[in-house]
Amino acid sequence: MSEFLGYERDDGSVGIRNHVAIISTAPYANDTVKRAAEITENTVPITHPLGRCQTKPDVFQTYRTLLGYGTHPNVYGTVVVAHAGEIVDGDELASDVAETGRPSASINIHEEKGVMNALQATVNAAQEMVLDASDQRRVPADYSNLTFGINCATSDTTSGLCQHKATAKAVWRLIDDHGGRGVFAETAEFFGGEHELAERAVNDDVKQEVLDRVEHWDQRLKDTGYDVRGAQPTPDNMDGGLTTIEEKSLGALVKSGNGPIQDIVDYGAKIPGDSGMYIMDTPGHGAESVTGIGAGGAHFMVISTGQGHTLSNAIMPTIKITGNPNSRERVPEETDVDVSEALVGDEDYDWAADQLWDNLTRIVDGKLTMSEALGESQFAIHRIGPST
Amino acid sequence: MVERHIQVVEPEDNVATALREIEAGETLEVAVGDSTVTVEALADVEFGHKIALEEIPAGETIVKYGKSIGNATEDIDAGAWVHVHNVESNYGRGDLAADEAEAEA
Repeated sequence: MSEFLGYERDDGSVGIRNHVAIISTAPYANDTVKRAAEITENTVPITHPLGRCQTKPDVFQTYRTLLGYGTHPNVYGTVVVAHAGEIVDGDELASDVAETGRPSASINIHEEKGVMNALQATVNAAQEMVLDASDQRRVPADYSNLTFGINCATSDTTSGLCQHKATAKAVWRLIDDHGGRGVFAETAEFFGGEHELAERAVNDDVKQEVLDRVEHWDQRLKDTGYDVRGAQPTPDNMDGGLTTIEEKSLGALVKSGNGPIQDIVDYGAKIPGDSGMYIMDTPGHGAESVTGIGAGGAHFMVISTGQGHTLSNAIMPTIKITGNPNSRERVPEETDVDVSEALVGDEDYDWAADQLWDNLTRIVDGKLTMSEALGESQFAIHRIGPST
Repeated sequence: MVERHIQVVEPEDNVATALREIEAGETLEVAVGDSTVTVEALADVEFGHKIALEEIPAGETIVKYGKSIGNATEDIDAGAWVHVHNVESNYGRGDLAADEAEAEA
């Protein structure tokens, strides 16, 4: 069996990074989180505009997503910063993080009597965790521990013809040869291919769930009263030659390969432990789908892009692959793997998959991705309903 | 000679994807399954964009990956550029749902 070098956690997971997360529970704690992360080396700030005055479905989704980050395999410990008493409760979040055996701290601006005191307390807690995290060593671990996330980004017509084929071969190599897990998302990008996708479900319940969730997305879009074109496909998709959401979707599904689908899970929910391919129900909006997959616990993610993209995540390394020979020129500092020779040159898709696999195994062992080296990331939780 | 830079995914597709810039007036030999289709490009087609392999009447299905990617909104000639100006989607059509609701009211 193949092994990688990772960080063992008390909950049995193994990380490929050793981050300390500083998580805000509401907009009013965001600046304290950002300032603490600027002061303390090797911390990751997680900030967002949510967590207050939300209805319950959104409260659950926000909480689930933040907890997913606080307990991510790549996270050593977590400091939670709250503003006051909130419906997304800081103490509860820190307590749920601690249950996984990770160091955790809860700071509350009101209870600390001000932002300066809260900043001091946050830095103190984070500094202690960073020191301890830096003292932990990577140890050999089996590849079956790994969860491989997949997402599209600025798709074009090359996506389904080239880079998605390489991505599919790589994810199924992890599942079939090593007993790992894969997860893809973007339910609104199954339109037109949903019946063939549903046929891949391991049982009738999962099959029906896939069809129901696709139908739900089509209905949500119909309820807007407008044609979705412009939002899907996006203007940059259309520049790249994609004409309709069906064309984008049929290409997008190529990246999931042809193997069986074990289950479809809610946005931000933990990916189950059994080996196989899973779907997370997310929008096609990349920042939101990648944020959801990160909360699900994917160790790393392959972003299979057409026109090139900055899409990335602070906790989960994102490896960008493209098959469009022009993309490396558009976003050169964000392109990890260029397999366009398989599309317009003399190479084949096995070669392309090998290029990706070789890159991702080194990144799993600690080599930085292009976006990690640039310190670039986004964080956007998908919301369901209104603020109140 | 058949061009590898004009790609057709499935034999039943009625559009091909240009993996190079195509100029109007070029004669293209395209592999469709085991056979070869010859079309004359009626317009310039950019890298990544699509060209019709046969005449597609208004309302008919545009087929790629062997499946529908939408319908022609006008008669499309063989060799024409196929994109948002002559194809519409069948999903996420809130505009049509709104029109239907108005018609029923």
